[in-house]
Amino acid sequence: MSHLKEIFARTDMCTGCQSCRLACAVAHSDSKNLFAAIHETPRAKSRVYVEWLDDQIKVPVLCRHCEDAPCINACIAGAITRSDDNTVITNDDKCIGCWTCVMVCPYGVIGRDKSVRKAYRCDRCPDLEIPACVSACPTEALIYQEVDQYSKSVRKNVARELVTKEGG
Amino acid sequence: MGNRYLIVGGSAAGMAAAHTIRKADETGEVTVLSNESHAPYFRPMIPYIITGKKSASQIILNGSGVFTADTINILTGSKVTSVDPAGKRVTTGAGDIFDYDRILFSSGSRPYMPEDIENLGVDGVFALKTLADAEAMAARSETTEHAVLLGGGILNLKAAFALLEKNIKVTLVVYSPEVLSQLMDPEDAYLVRKALDEAGLVIKTGCSARAVISDDTGVCAVALDNGEEIPCQMICVGKGVIPNLDYLDGTDIRIDKGIVADPFTACSKGDTFAAGDVAVTHDPATGDKTVTALWTHAVEMGICAGLNMTGKKTAYAGTMGIMNATQVADEPFVAMGVVHTRDKDLEVHTDRTDHYFRKMVFSPDGSRLVGAVFVGDITRAGLYRYVIREKMEVERFKNHLVNHTLHYGHFL
Repeated sequence: MSHLKEIFARTDMCTGCQSCRLACAVAHSDSKNLFAAIHETPRAKSRVYVEWLDDQIKVPVLCRHCEDAPCINACIAGAITRSDDNTVITNDDKCIGCWTCVMVCPYGVIGRDKSVRKAYRCDRCPDLEIPACVSACPTEALIYQEVDQYSKSVRKNVARELVTKEGG
Repeated sequence: MGNRYLIVGGSAAGMAAAHTIRKADETGEVTVLSNESHAPYFRPMIPYIITGKKSASQIILNGSGVFTADTINILTGSKVTSVDPAGKRVTTGAGDIFDYDRILFSSGSRPYMPEDIENLGVDGVFALKTLADAEAMAARSETTEHAVLLGGGILNLKAAFALLEKNIKVTLVVYSPEVLSQLMDPEDAYLVRKALDEAGLVIKTGCSARAVISDDTGVCAVALDNGEEIPCQMICVGKGVIPNLDYLDGTDIRIDKGIVADPFTACSKGDTFAAGDVAVTHDPATGDKTVTALWTHAVEMGICAGLNMTGKKTAYAGTMGIMNATQVADEPFVAMGVVHTRDKDLEVHTDRTDHYFRKMVFSPDGSRLVGAVFVGDITRAGLYRYVIREKMEVERFKNHLVNHTLHYGHFL
């Protein structure tokens, strides 16, 4: 399914500005509006996380929608399924908040909504052309591309860096 | 003609294998023999049948999670009574005969019913294992004022909350000094215990049932070994499970506390495989042989067995002997790997507060994480499981393990 788009994160571009988190929370709020979302109860939650490594490197982390997803295997309620566009989805109606998915996710990107006792994670914004976090990122640290396309751009960047280094 | 795959047992491991085979081998014929009367369902969901929050049709496997393949031949009410591995043939209790090319033993486990408790056979005594058990408990609960649950494991806790929700008084009788003794040391369960006490559960530790007392309505009381007699209309036994292996008696399939499987889920005879509660596998945390009874493990191992059965050689990563997560009342918890640390040569870091408890267990030299317990705050527990399972050298992020600040960036 490599022709389907995924969200990629570039740690070399992320400034840790948290714009993605804000946009994600708004996109998953009832009102879809920042000023209204602030007053919603329970408060809208971001599904993307920006982790800090030392003081230099910022790492945006979100659900990878793994090909062999441990959470799908683990879910005791049958609440987690893979949709046609390859996105791993948690069905709120079926989720019972047993947190087995939290126990097995190797990226640590499944959140717990304590007020409703449901697990939540990135759904790649199914109603938007481009996921809200990607649109909001001012430095293109988050990229929404097909795998082939992205790896080609990574190779180009590496080649360019090598040339620059050798030249310099 | 395609391969004939035969699967003994229609729960997590068997059905995960069946769906995996179906997707990997389109021409194969996949047959599942289940001794239960219900079509395969999400077994851990049966406490919701007691409360009535879910109906049987809402917890069926087909169409959810990894169980999305079509055309699997599922025969319910088919209990396998004997296997002839040389002749590649099984016989069921009804006398039906099935020939196969490859077979998976995924017959699961059954509740352990202690023989030293007298009169366990009467109406109103349950062990919550099957959907049928849950339905029977739901029916009995209509006339139950007080239920006594024997055993303080995770399954009985789930049953207890289901019954409390129906306004039934529940007493938990636990032989160990504290509940959840399989998943944590007694002193580490204080927050869980507080949550249980506040939820109204009556817990008696350090004692066990001696006999069930009955009249013409079935159970009417239970006698404990401390002399106490508790009137009750329902008893639920949660004393662990034992693997279903009887049908392999007399075969040369190697058994040692369970069916011995190699790293590729294969048994000691050609074209035989094992997965789930019946299979003996290895624990990546301790290196020991282990048998676990966890849905998650059964699914993972079933998928692996399914791939191996279709010729896609796939090594099984193993199962931690101890691994579970759930939430009781408002208290979530996760326990995995080496969690019992009393008098053991291990490096242990604990953090005890009124709101959360955590314990990080390292190897004696402190270089590897071998176990973890989180109560109250289970954020990113999966990362810790990954560190344990992959036996990672933890030196460069050890402080983050100890302080529960580990994130994915630390792996880069």
